[in-house]
Amino acid sequence: MARPFAPWRGFAAMPQQVRRLAVVIVLLVAAYFTARHFLVPRTFGEKGHYRAAAVDSIAVLPIHYAGREACAMCHPAEVAKKAGSFHRGVSCEACHGPEAAHTTDPIGHKPTAPRDRAFCVRCHAYDPARPTGFPQIDPVLHNPVRNCFTCHNPHDPTPPRPPETCAACHGEIARTKAVSPHAQLACTECHTADPRHAQAPRQFLPSKPASREFCGRCHASDAPPPAHLPDARPPKVDLATHGPRYVCWQCHYPHYPEAR
Amino acid sequence: MQGYIYPNEFELQWSLLIVVYPYLTGLVAGAFILASLARVFNVKEVQPTYRLSLLTALAFLIAAPLPLLGHLGHPERAYEILMTPNTRSAMAMFGFVYLWYLMMVLLLEIWFDYRKDLVVWSRGKTGVLASFRRLLTLGVTDLSEDALRFDRRAGKLITIIGIPSAFLLHGYVGFIFGSIKANPWWSSVLMPVVFLFSAIVSGIALMLVIYFFSTMLRSRPVDMACMDKLGSFLLYALIVDFSLEMLDFTQRLYEAEESISILGQMLSSRLVLSLIILQVLIGTIVPLVTLFLVAPTVRKRGFLKVPDEFRRLLYFVVAVFIQIGIFSTRWNVVIGGQLFSKSLRGLTTFKVGLLGIEGILVAGAIMLLPLVILYILVKVVPPWPDAEAVVESELTGADPVPAVQPS
Ligand code: HEC
Ligand code: HEC
Ligand code: HEC
Ligand code: HEC
Ligand code: HEC
Ligand code: HEC
Ligand code: HEC
Ligand code: HEC
Repeated sequence: MARPFAPWRGFAAMPQQVRRLAVVIVLLVAAYFTARHFLVPRTFGEKGHYRAAAVDSIAVLPIHYAGREACAMCHPAEVAKKAGSFHRGVSCEACHGPEAAHTTDPIGHKPTAPRDRAFCVRCHAYDPARPTGFPQIDPVLHNPVRNCFTCHNPHDPTPPRPPETCAACHGEIARTKAVSPHAQLACTECHTADPRHAQAPRQFLPSKPASREFCGRCHASDAPPPAHLPDARPPKVDLATHGPRYVCWQCHYPHYPEAR
Repeated sequence: MQGYIYPNEFELQWSLLIVVYPYLTGLVAGAFILASLARVFNVKEVQPTYRLSLLTALAFLIAAPLPLLGHLGHPERAYEILMTPNTRSAMAMFGFVYLWYLMMVLLLEIWFDYRKDLVVWSRGKTGVLASFRRLLTLGVTDLSEDALRFDRRAGKLITIIGIPSAFLLHGYVGFIFGSIKANPWWSSVLMPVVFLFSAIVSGIALMLVIYFFSTMLRSRPVDMACMDKLGSFLLYALIVDFSLEMLDFTQRLYEAEESISILGQMLSSRLVLSLIILQVLIGTIVPLVTLFLVAPTVRKRGFLKVPDEFRRLLYFVVAVFIQIGIFSTRWNVVIGGQLFSKSLRGLTTFKVGLLGIEGILVAGAIMLLPLVILYILVKVVPPWPDAEAVVESELTGADPVPAVQPS
């Protein structure tokens, strides 16, 4: 005979401990979901793991930046000048500050121009974390005291004469190479660089060693000592058997001190 | 600083409090696993530490999130990780791992274990303590044979669930470190396992210290059988832990990834004191040799015959050494992982401050807090074997009385 469905009977038959604990746990779980109900923001999770309404509350904040295109209308000369030179990727407002107010009221809100040395140095001081090829100077040594804009037009900062050393833009490589076995080799020993590389680096990329034989010029067992480095004694290896099937710099990156 | 480091590596982001955190959770997991061994495998000798271990685990568990809250600096927002669970973040799931372990394992097990005593202790009494104990019984005053048997069986079941949960709690901490791909010092699948075993080692050592100390304070005789058993457990756990660490070490040496040379430099300069001397020598080799010689493992009496008084003192000293060693282990993992540059070419330095939220004073206070909590817990629910209530049987009608009135 089928018994009528009565789960409470089963519950009542359980040990007292289980019944009490069940009540406590149910209360806790209920408290959790009640708390969630009140504490989790309404729009949470609609678009992702965040409060969707946050987008709207950010959107109503006052706008400070006018954006790159906004300046072109009234300052075509500066825009054109900058577009043709190194700072083409640097937005006007990165230097002049947020100027939304200036675009609507040009006379009432005059932008400031950062004329002191400390400003340019924020981007151009030597810092090993900067990407390779980024022009960097030592602010203490680089034409001290005078303001940068007296020599570099900020909208076209092309230096009065092109940088002479590769270290100007490849500071980190230069500094590691200086403590490597190849310290006495010039960069141009291994890279042929067009002089124009210093003016338009990406258009005129220098060469890079491409084969094992390249290093073999100095390191092969039968290589003559490099004529222009009479004191250098490059250690010799047998190209045929030493690390075959790989290019040398997979094991010895020649800029690095641990090249050995 | 030495060699070449990136600018953002000069200052360590995870400092002293993050060292304290895995140390504390390790003690929780370790103490609990010891209690579980006693219960599941029914190891008679260590019974005197069973309840004490549970309470210790609880006390340390309550304090365990404090270093994290202090480090993150916005304790008032802590509830948010529970309100909006992010299942894709291992760190964000901590709240649930923690809650599961606290609510479903530790508190439940303690409740089932103490229910009978709570009923007996609070029966017919008035006063704050008695009322509080009565509240803790949740009104379940049934002391019948059936009910008591149910308590025991439920307790055992929870212990069995509890062991993997304790593994989860501390393995999880190791997992967080082990899954940081970019850091060759941390990234290792062995990390959770090594964490776990070092946790067991530290937990057993802690219980040895606490047991010894509390019996001394209560001027009761120290149970040498218990101390010996704890000593031999400690030895076994230490052997496994040390072999795992050596395995990890040899594997790294053999793999010899590009990080090996900087890690070698770090070992031989920055970590000499904390790793070679404190962790390996004081924290592992000395305890291993001492325990091997005096603890009854292979032979019934140990290799050296040492009088009881001296032997328990040795155990105590060894356990303290191990605590120092394990703390150094945590230090070496957390701090060591940030001392070398991701460029693999330089090392930075780390000095702990005295004041401030990440300073020695706060860290010390957080590490002492569990002992204060333990003291309070012991007052509310005394774990001593001689305080346990004996229930003859409800049926005889005799009012059950505790053997010794708890103070
Ligand atoms: C609606 C036209 C207009 C727009 C758009 C505009 N400007 Fe101007 N800006 C002017 C005028 C007009 C002046 C000249 C004010 C004067 O000389 O008193 C000026 C002057 C300046 C000056 C020189 C201030 C000085 O002290 O001499 C700077 C710098 C400048 N603008 C930057 C910007 C930037 C950056 C933007 C884009 C975000 C921008 N302007 C957009 C009209 C505009
Ligand atoms: C690298 C930083 C930098 C950027 C980017 C930059 N400026 Fe300038 N700008 C300056 C500095 C510095 C001066 C002050 C030069 C001086 O006093 O000779 C200046 C001066 C000006 C002036 C004042 C007139 C003048 O020639 O003396 C105007 C107008 C101006 N900038 C507009 C612009 C606009 C428009 C853009 C974006 C197309 C822009 N600037 C981008 C740094 C910058
Ligand atoms: C927001 C960062 C930023 C600021 C501020 C900045 N620059 Fe630049 N600068 C750049 C970038 C980006 C380049 C282009 C690098 C490249 O070609 O890869 C550059 C290139 C240059 C060059 C070209 C060097 C060469 O020969 O390749 C000079 C000179 C220069 N900046 C000077 C200045 C001066 C002077 C100032 C201050 C008025 C200044 N910069 C402020 C980002 C900045
Ligand atoms: C006296 C004029 C003068 C002043 C002032 C000056 N520079 Fe230069 N700058 C040059 C010349 C000339 C070169 C190219 C030759 C060289 O390498 O020194 C150059 C090159 C550079 C380069 C390319 C990298 C290099 O080292 O060759 C950068 C970047 C640069 N300057 C930034 C600055 C900044 C930023 C300031 C202000 C802190 C500044 N300059 C001040 C004259 C000057
Ligand atoms: C004005 C700054 C500047 C100077 C000076 C400079 N470089 Fe570069 N160099 C760059 C930039 C920018 C890149 C491109 C980096 C990139 O694409 O990531 C580059 C790239 C290179 C590359 C890599 C080419 C490739 O295919 O990846 C080599 C090699 C190189 N430079 C060598 C030299 C040598 C040698 C010198 C000295 C004779 C030198 N550079 C001087 C800015 C400079
Ligand atoms: C002994 C030979 C040698 C010398 C000297 C040398 N390089 Fe290189 N360089 C190489 C080789 C080999 C590569 C790797 C080529 C590749 O990866 O295909 C390279 C790659 C580069 C690259 C592109 C990759 C990168 O690391 O950014 C740059 C830029 C570069 N060199 C710049 C320099 C500069 C600047 C100097 C002088 C300070 C210099 N090199 C000196 C051999 C040399
Ligand atoms: C112009 C000649 C020249 C060329 C080309 C050259 N090297 Fe070298 N190499 C040297 C000299 C000189 C030394 C320095 C030996 C010393 O005094 O320690 C050296 C040292 C080394 C060392 C260190 C050996 C040791 O144990 O001290 C290695 C590795 C090396 N070179 C690899 C290379 C590789 C790889 C290339 C190809 C990218 C290369 N070299 C190209 C001249 C050269
Ligand atoms: C598979 C990795 C590998 C490759 C590829 C490789 N090397 Fe080596 N090289 C090594 C190792 C490892 C050593 C150090 C052990 C030794 O002395 O044999 C070494 C040593 C050297 C030395 C120092 C020898 C001495 O007597 O001190 C030179 C020079 C050298 N390599 C040059 C080269 C050149 C040039 C090439 C390319 C033709 C090259 N290597 C390719 C792994 C490699």
